Amino acid sequence: MSAANDIGDRLTQFKNKGKDVNELRRRRAEVNVELRKAKKDDQILKRRNVQSLLDEPTSPLQEKDPNAQPPQHWSVEEIVGGVNSQTLDHQLQATQAARRLLSREKHPPIDCIIAAGLIKKFVSFLAWSECPPIQFEAAWALTNIASGTSDQTTAVVEGGAIPAFISLVTSPHPHISEQAIWALGNIAGDGSNYRDLVIKHGGLQPLLALLAAPDLSVFPSGYLRNVTWTLSNLCRNKNPAPPLTAVEQLLPALVRLLHYNDREILADTCWAVSYLTDGSNERIEVVVQAGLVPRLVQLLGCEELSIVTPALRSLGNIVTGTDEQTQCVLNAGALVMFTRLLCHDKPNIQKEAAWAVSNITAGKDTQIQEVINAGLVPILVEVLKQGDYKTQKEAVWAVTNYTSGGTLAQVAYLVQCNVLEPLLNLLTAKDSKILLVILDAVYNILQMTCKAGDIDKLCLMIEELGGLDKIEALQSHDNEAVYKSSLNIIDRFFSEENEDESVVPEATEESYTFEIPEDQSTFQF
Amino acid sequence: MFIADIRKEFYEVVANQRVALLVAADIDALCACKILQALFHCDQVQYTLVPVTGWQDLGTAFLEHKEQFRYFVLINCGANVDLLEMLQPDDDSIFFICDTHRPVDVVNVYNDTQIKLLIKQDDDLGVPTYDDIFRDEDDEEGGDSGNESDEGSEPSGKRRRFDEGAVERRIERQRAKREWEARRREILFDYEQYEYHGTSAAMMFFELAWVLTKDTKDMLWWAVIGLTDQWVHDKITHMKYVTDIATMQRHVSRHNHRNEDEENSLSIDCMRISFEYDLRLTLYQHWSLYESICNSCYTSCHFKLWTLNGQKKLQEFLADMGLPLKQVRQKFNSMDMSIKENLREVIEESSNKYGMKDIRIQTFGVHFGFKNRFLASDMVHATAALLESTEKDESDSDNFIKALDSLSRSNLDRLHSGIDQAKKKLIAVQQTVASCICTNLILSQGPFLYCYLMEGTPDVKLFSKPMALTLLCKYLLKAFVHSTRNKRCKLLPLIMAAPKDVEKGTVIVVGIPPESETSDKKNFFGRAFEKAAESTSSRTLHDHFDTSSK
Repeated sequence: MSAANDIGDRLTQFKNKGKDVNELRRRRAEVNVELRKAKKDDQILKRRNVQSLLDEPTSPLQEKDPNAQPPQHWSVEEIVGGVNSQTLDHQLQATQAARRLLSREKHPPIDCIIAAGLIKKFVSFLAWSECPPIQFEAAWALTNIASGTSDQTTAVVEGGAIPAFISLVTSPHPHISEQAIWALGNIAGDGSNYRDLVIKHGGLQPLLALLAAPDLSVFPSGYLRNVTWTLSNLCRNKNPAPPLTAVEQLLPALVRLLHYNDREILADTCWAVSYLTDGSNERIEVVVQAGLVPRLVQLLGCEELSIVTPALRSLGNIVTGTDEQTQCVLNAGALVMFTRLLCHDKPNIQKEAAWAVSNITAGKDTQIQEVINAGLVPILVEVLKQGDYKTQKEAVWAVTNYTSGGTLAQVAYLVQCNVLEPLLNLLTAKDSKILLVILDAVYNILQMTCKAGDIDKLCLMIEELGGLDKIEALQSHDNEAVYKSSLNIIDRFFSEENEDESVVPEATEESYTFEIPEDQSTFQF
Repeated sequence: MFIADIRKEFYEVVANQRVALLVAADIDALCACKILQALFHCDQVQYTLVPVTGWQDLGTAFLEHKEQFRYFVLINCGANVDLLEMLQPDDDSIFFICDTHRPVDVVNVYNDTQIKLLIKQDDDLGVPTYDDIFRDEDDEEGGDSGNESDEGSEPSGKRRRFDEGAVERRIERQRAKREWEARRREILFDYEQYEYHGTSAAMMFFELAWVLTKDTKDMLWWAVIGLTDQWVHDKITHMKYVTDIATMQRHVSRHNHRNEDEENSLSIDCMRISFEYDLRLTLYQHWSLYESICNSCYTSCHFKLWTLNGQKKLQEFLADMGLPLKQVRQKFNSMDMSIKENLREVIEESSNKYGMKDIRIQTFGVHFGFKNRFLASDMVHATAALLESTEKDESDSDNFIKALDSLSRSNLDRLHSGIDQAKKKLIAVQQTVASCICTNLILSQGPFLYCYLMEGTPDVKLFSKPMALTLLCKYLLKAFVHSTRNKRCKLLPLIMAAPKDVEKGTVIVVGIPPESETSDKKNFFGRAFEKAAESTSSRTLHDHFDTSSK
């Protein structure tokens, strides 16, 4: 409860400062794809689709390569005939033929198979435990149908496949069990709806039972990878996120997998954790309570990009939570790892790391102190100087958050680390949102220094770095908020008549917190 | 995409709409615009006419009009870039492009929804086939989502299980994909390497008018001028010119035949178009024969009139024709009728002796009433002079409107003022050519020739405009080829630069292909300029619709 209060306080404090708490602690927003481009490609591809339909009948000919299957290409009609025949052998052959069609790489005829009404039949084959081969072929065929579009997955679900697959998970034949798990993964991967439907049908329990085995190494690694992937799909997707009870059941298994030594399994498990942590503080809490934070931090140090990426994402998600949750990550020694991550040769990792740091500097001043102690400030300045643009943006956030929550000494240290030069250089950016964030940082720094009475030197420094010119130029910016923000800085700190100290707040901590809201409300329209 | 049925897919679509007409600043575009305007008047189609001088202009014009218009007709601009990429239009904006610039950008060719090309497919286009340059990305992506996940990227939500040979096939396919990409680059390089021009836009729209059975003599005349513009400004090969002239001739005789009864007799407001096998002497009917010979590229280069020897030869030539100097130097209109009667034959005969075997060319002339007679090339020169007028400091769009007006037969005064300006321009061109040759301003830079017009050169302002500079460039190269003894230089292309805006310190640059009778008029400078700008990191603006000038 006290924690909640604490957040509430901070929240109002931030709100009064004219910002949403969500803006300081910034949750992951989906990356904007270049929509325009995609659309344009679509237009071109429309034509393509027509063509691909046309060459459908001839495609068996195209498939002529030495690696191809024995040349028994069945037409969909033949398959329908075979599946409905009376002899088991014929049915098996037809199912296998369907599976082959669906497994070819180009244009599998998923819709034709659905239209032929074969799904019902295949689902019924799943239950024929007296004939494992047909169970397997049907499971494979259905897996591939479910791997398609949402409509195609829906067709499989509506054929009643979910319960059938769930009962196959416990099949005595590992390859059938594996195929069923794969199919469930495809269904759950379609979205929140089917994910929850699989959970509702009790799909989670047999999987967890498997993972509760005393020794996981009895499973072939391919099998275990499929289980992990399906499990991660059961954690995936938001709006709504998976039911909390399911998450709680799932977590011990994830913790166990997190200690299993296989690259793909570790990667998929970390992704699962990243999905679970991408949500409210309540959900983050459940994950943190499972005690996997130290292991995640450990994985940050491994060499595999495929593991580091989701591990970093998960930790980044956790530090969007409460100060306590963030502290948990800090206590696990995460900051030591960030020295390396902030200079990683993949720009994407740099960006994610800077994002995480920005959320840590949005925390308490003791947490900012930990960032300083880990030696990250000079690196952050370096990133600000020469990272790619997206990373620079995150670093700007880190600086701004730092300046709004840090103590005077901390901010002074930041300035000592030469943050101003790269920060002011970024004022030439086009994006007005980032301009506002930079201007806030500049304002905060000036404000703090002003309080300490050492303003002239700083103003001179900003002027010498060409910052004043840039801020002045921004007064004619199209964006009204940018204009007001830059005007405010010039007005308060750089105009002659403002020499009188009356505007400058008293240097006590108390009045500082009161003073700010008033100042900000003027620049908030 | 290419439009197959220009009436159904273009005219009937825009007929009930408001249309924005974006027209480039060249004579063919003006003529095409005139024809389309006439059709729109006929059917009461509402339109807004916007002259555009370059890519920047086009971008601005689009931004200004995109809210009010859904349909845009682009004349002589837009085909040779990826227009959607450049303009970033909304999904419902539709572009009809009638443009002679080649090669047509492949994305424009294969976009089915927003780009409609009013371009004849029988023009020698050589567009790469769809499958050679585009590929369904899903094909490859589908393979990768199989078992391996890309390093560090999120695992796919759904996975298909492939059959056993899939892995080997995927490797094979990746190899094939790389090969395909290399081939694609090669194909595109070949396709985009040279730029050239296709069938006149004015002729395209005349054909539309004909299909609609709304073609008039005025429209026919504009189409002729559009075609002649391509010849005067050396945009198409001689072969293409002769072929298209034949097409126009069929239309001319059809029209003359149709009105045989009523209009055979001349009347004050009649208009008569006739096929002519006329002299290549620029504006001679509105000048004196002497001045025309001096200022026509063809004759001046042959005699090398910038030399004393050349001047002498010219006198000999005139003597050979038996034309008294007094007659030759006075206005053509005032020459003795007896001389004028078989003047063309007389000139041709003497020209043959002097090695000018093709002094006559297939063209068309027009009579307005009794008094006014013009050759198609007269119109081109006059209108071009108005379009790029530097006399008064008028805006580009003022010049555009004036030039457009000069094409209407009700505006003969304007046309005459255009002819006067054209004469001045031609004299300036000749003088500049002479001074460049005499002072050796043309430098051989290894693979190409180069000439820079210094600031302060007389008439330099005139040549800050792309058409005028290109014309000068072509005349200069021809003159240079005639005057130099260096055989190698005859095979070199020429790059020419002139100050564009003295205050801003900018320069306009054009490049033209080597001068030869068999030239295919294909110009590789577009790509070359882009590369050059890249490698020297100069600040350049490839603004002109011809990529070979900027």
